[in-house]
Amino acid sequence: MPTSYPDISDIIARKQAGRRAAAAKPFAEKVAELERLRARARALRKSQPVEAASVGDKNGLDS
Amino acid sequence: MALDKTIAVINELAKSSVLKNYAIAGAVAAAAYVQSVLTEDLDILIAVDNLATRPSGLLLLSPIEDALAAMGYTERSDVGVMVEDWPVQFIPVASDLDVESLQEAQDVRFDATPSFLARVLRPEHIVAKALTVGRFKDLDRIESFLDQRAVDLPRLQAVLSRHELLAPWKAFCLQAGRTDPLGAP
Repeated sequence: MPTSYPDISDIIARKQAGRRAAAAKPFAEKVAELERLRARARALRKSQPVEAASVGDKNGLDS
Repeated sequence: MALDKTIAVINELAKSSVLKNYAIAGAVAAAAYVQSVLTEDLDILIAVDNLATRPSGLLLLSPIEDALAAMGYTERSDVGVMVEDWPVQFIPVASDLDVESLQEAQDVRFDATPSFLARVLRPEHIVAKALTVGRFKDLDRIESFLDQRAVDLPRLQAVLSRHELLAPWKAFCLQAGRTDPLGAP
């Protein structure tokens, strides 16, 4: 009997709507979010062993 | 928040004519139009007339660095000069696309203060630049601009056409598994 999977198109649509809402925020709010992301990334790097932190320094960062 | 102060310092450099032609580029520019993504520096695209030229032809950032030093910003990181806790990287134009991007950059209101403007590349030029760089994160940025409807498609088509980027654009659409939103033949 074939497996029946749930329809998740509404979840995908809600996620997309959320991203569009985030995009529509004022520049200053998005910059504040960017600062929070940066602070979190710094905290994560500090919590990692030195070797792993140095490898990860540039990974995943945007320019 | 520190980045607003960094942008204010950049605006100050522009007001004093140290920066004659510039615009915010990279992830911070993208954040003016789409959802924010992590970045560690502020990229500023600049025209070559902001630079000093040695007799050998070598271009130097010294006029900008000197002005920043006079304002107390002397610390350097591996990616640029530290300004209010943000490394700022000044990137001279390196292509016709960059030159056009600078010419057509726009002033974006930063917050509720009408006079606080940030000069930022237009979305179409950010997308075109991402296409030329072509790393995964650049292609992801293009996806963001498309999904979040943050780019003017006819204007994007004109930019891509002018800079002979329609073939890479089609390759991107194919790779991303999406129908070409430009509908170009």
